[in-house]
Amino acid sequence: MKNLIIGEHIVKYFGEGDEKHNVLDGVSVDINEGEFVAIMGPSGSGKSTLMFALSGMDNVDGGRVTFDGSDISSVGEAELSDIRRTKMGFVFQQPTMLKNLNILDNIILPSIRDNRKNVAKISEKARALMKRVGIAELEMRDITQVSGGQLQRAGICRALLNSPKIIFGDEPTGALNSKSAQEIMDIFSEINAGGTAIMLVTHDAKVAARTERIMFMLDGKLVSELKLPKFDGTNIDGRIGKVTEKMWEIGI
Amino acid sequence: MYYRIIRNDFLKSKLITLTTTLFVAVAAMLVSLSAILIVNLSSAIDSLMNQAKTPHFMQMHSGDIDTVRLTNFAEQNSNVDDFQVLEFLNLDNSQIILGDRSLANNVQDNGFSIQSEKFDYLLDLDGNIINVSDGELYVPINYMKDATTKVGDKAVIGGKEFTVAGFLRDSQMNSMLSSSKRFLVSANDYAAIKSRGSMEYLIEFRLKDLSALGEFETAYASAGLEANGPTITYPLFKTINAFSDGIMIAVILLISVLVVAIAFMCIRFTLLAKIEDDYREIGVMKAIGLRLSDIKKIYLAKYAAIAAVGSILGYALSLMFKNMLLENIRLYMGESENSFFATSLGIIGILLVYLAIIAYVSGVLRRFRKISAAEAIRFGISQEKSAVAKRVCLNKNKLLNTNLFLGIKDVLARKRLYATMLAVLVISAFIIIVPQNLYNTISSTSFIKYMGIGNYDIRLDIQQTDQISKKAAEVLEYMNSDSSISKYTILTTKTFKTKMEDGSEENIKIELGDHSIFPIEYTEGRAPAKENEIALSALNADEMSKKVGDTITVIMKGKENKLTVSGIYSDITNGGKTAKAIFTDHSENIMWSVICAKLSDKALVDETISNYADRFTFAKISNIDEFVKQTFGSTIKSVEKASLAAIAIALVITILVTLLFMKMLVAKDRYSIAIMKALGFTNSDITVQYGSRALFVSIIGIIVGTLLANTLGEVLAGAVITSFGASSFSFSINPLSAYVFCPLLMICSVLITTIIGTSGVGKIKISENIKE
Repeated sequence: MKNLIIGEHIVKYFGEGDEKHNVLDGVSVDINEGEFVAIMGPSGSGKSTLMFALSGMDNVDGGRVTFDGSDISSVGEAELSDIRRTKMGFVFQQPTMLKNLNILDNIILPSIRDNRKNVAKISEKARALMKRVGIAELEMRDITQVSGGQLQRAGICRALLNSPKIIFGDEPTGALNSKSAQEIMDIFSEINAGGTAIMLVTHDAKVAARTERIMFMLDGKLVSELKLPKFDGTNIDGRIGKVTEKMWEIGI
Repeated sequence: MYYRIIRNDFLKSKLITLTTTLFVAVAAMLVSLSAILIVNLSSAIDSLMNQAKTPHFMQMHSGDIDTVRLTNFAEQNSNVDDFQVLEFLNLDNSQIILGDRSLANNVQDNGFSIQSEKFDYLLDLDGNIINVSDGELYVPINYMKDATTKVGDKAVIGGKEFTVAGFLRDSQMNSMLSSSKRFLVSANDYAAIKSRGSMEYLIEFRLKDLSALGEFETAYASAGLEANGPTITYPLFKTINAFSDGIMIAVILLISVLVVAIAFMCIRFTLLAKIEDDYREIGVMKAIGLRLSDIKKIYLAKYAAIAAVGSILGYALSLMFKNMLLENIRLYMGESENSFFATSLGIIGILLVYLAIIAYVSGVLRRFRKISAAEAIRFGISQEKSAVAKRVCLNKNKLLNTNLFLGIKDVLARKRLYATMLAVLVISAFIIIVPQNLYNTISSTSFIKYMGIGNYDIRLDIQQTDQISKKAAEVLEYMNSDSSISKYTILTTKTFKTKMEDGSEENIKIELGDHSIFPIEYTEGRAPAKENEIALSALNADEMSKKVGDTITVIMKGKENKLTVSGIYSDITNGGKTAKAIFTDHSENIMWSVICAKLSDKALVDETISNYADRFTFAKISNIDEFVKQTFGSTIKSVEKASLAAIAIALVITILVTLLFMKMLVAKDRYSIAIMKALGFTNSDITVQYGSRALFVSIIGIIVGTLLANTLGEVLAGAVITSFGASSFSFSINPLSAYVFCPLLMICSVLITTIIGTSGVGKIKISENIKE
């Protein structure tokens, strides 16, 4: 399968002088097209930072990141923005929505930047996505008038609207109750089945167990990897068992 | 504890604290300056008029004079303290050469006097009564100001040589609004040049008690004494002396009020933003049982410190700048005796600014009461809901670029926040446009219509000569056949007696002729159109308490005639008390005639003037533009200076406030900016969004500001102008400058400042800000 992202010897440090410390300490990682991966690790291990580095949201202090054939560690800010907008989707732990816009406007925002004339078409596509994730009736609501789970679904719609090559999720179920979390994960599985790669950062073994490859991080390094067969809706407990076992083994 | 809070807060928001302090300082400086200037101006005028012993009542008179009768009148009138008749020798301006410059083109009535013995002294620049020796000439101060001559220059007056020995202050004729100027020569020299000019008399009285002035005026008029010329009283001398600097002070006062308002806006904005930032903390403080007044004190402490520092700084600045603005007052009026009172009034002004700020901050902080502890802790944001903003949806927008749309939407959604910036821009537009319109108005030729002068090109004054009507007829006959004159009219001023309500008689000067040829602006009513109509100047109408439609009784050839008041107009010429009528009167008691003419080609003005001057040596011929320039020149200059200063001040305010606002907004919106960037919006997209917010707000601000300037501003400026004798007023606007140049200037400064102010957008890292 073709590599979508290739990260080579990525170094990222925070702080200056005596306080300087490496958050990513020469991490190398590849993600294939259509792959569903998770990154696990304790707080401060560098998993979110890795995701920010691979998605070009944060520049790196060393190493190289190639996305879909282009070296995103050396392109300019505007080009990088274009790549993020057209080829990547993001879902965060907290619903990252703009307060002033209603749900539908928040969803279509990145897609209509270059496509204002097609606003009707884009809105239609957004409505279809909203229907698919079960929030069809919320389009005119303010973001303060819906629940966390509903907002997260809206966030997924926004991430999907541009038909990206990959969706990055930073603890996308972290703020949700277990029922909502399961529903969100069902949606992710469905999206992945459609061919979109997904990379999730998570603490949660139940979330990681849905993916096909789990990378474990500790102190800025990738320390281990667990491969699972593609999830088909069965044997979730067995998969969770394998993940927890690996976690114990590494000492997370 | 307060000290620590203030210090920490200052270190966290240096720019914002500094800008707010600066505004407070400027506001305090302007308030203090206007207080200092007002006191200095009025006290300088008072001390000049005291030192010079300005007459309380002065009647100018040309023609024969019966001094014995006047002396008898003065002796018998119990109100009179002192009396004198001064001679004023009118010389044609071409006979006056100062240094190497002739005054031939000057529009002032330049005349010569000797130093008076009893009162109405001419003073030197130190305020001392001048003692003039033979061969010495003292020149009115305005010729020093416009650098016509300097001490030591040779002067040739009526063929006789003099040396300019110094300059003089004349408490009567100092102001450029006064059309006559007195030069001082020794008694011997005066006698030598006496034959070269025509004589005019200044019949002057000092009263025991100034409050008896009205009574005295009536007595003088009823006694039928010499009255062939304008009558000027002490209060009018005062007004004339105060005019130029008074307007400048009024403009400064207006600006200071607006800057105080802007300082308030800045405080409101920073305070609201701070409250929003600290919303959760305020909730926590309330929840743990701190009293509202305790929480208020923490915020108030900072602003008390800012206000104190700003006020003190402002006061220091006002002391530094006052000399610059007092320069003109000092030159014309001399030192004020009340400088201690002026500086103390300045301090009182500053204290008022300080107290107003504290009161205002307390007012804004009342908002705390509305904050519910539970809500604040739970949500941490105060949600502003706007119905309009809700209806404006991105998914329905096909018209605007997405970034522009987002900018405008944000303004609509957070109106309260942007209201502050809007208010500042409205005020800035107001500050730019009002003084400029005022300048444009008073410098335009049509303004003289408000001052009682029609819109003509040249005027010929025929006075102080014999047979005025015959000479006027000569001029008219020539004009009639002169093709360069497109239209002309003659206005003859005669003096009549009018019967007052109480039966007493007073003199009234009526200008007779066709007033429709060069119409002036009437505050109320219209020009007289029938024989039995009369129009009164505002001062006359006021004094006689007449309105349009009332009748007044004028005595002509011993018969009482009732005339209906058809209109009221403003006039600052001839002491402001004039009247206009069209009835024919063949009596020979002409005081003067003025022939006004409009040329078919205005470019020929100089040529025509010299032609008429050569032909009719008895007439004084002036170019009306020159006349206006010389009469209102210093006033126009003051207003021009003030209007330029206003543009600079308003632009600095606009730039500072926009910078402050954008920096704060970017800091506040870090999270939203990070989301945008994560979603693939570039830094320049975000700059465009902020630019469109600024543009949207500034366009509304400029429109509202311009509308306000043309309505409220006009009323305000009108109030200033009317207090000096003109009673109706409307702006004449230079559309290119007021509607194109100034708005563009403001919009450009706002946009450039926005780009600079939002440069921090590039530094906002998604990874650091995306997690709330």
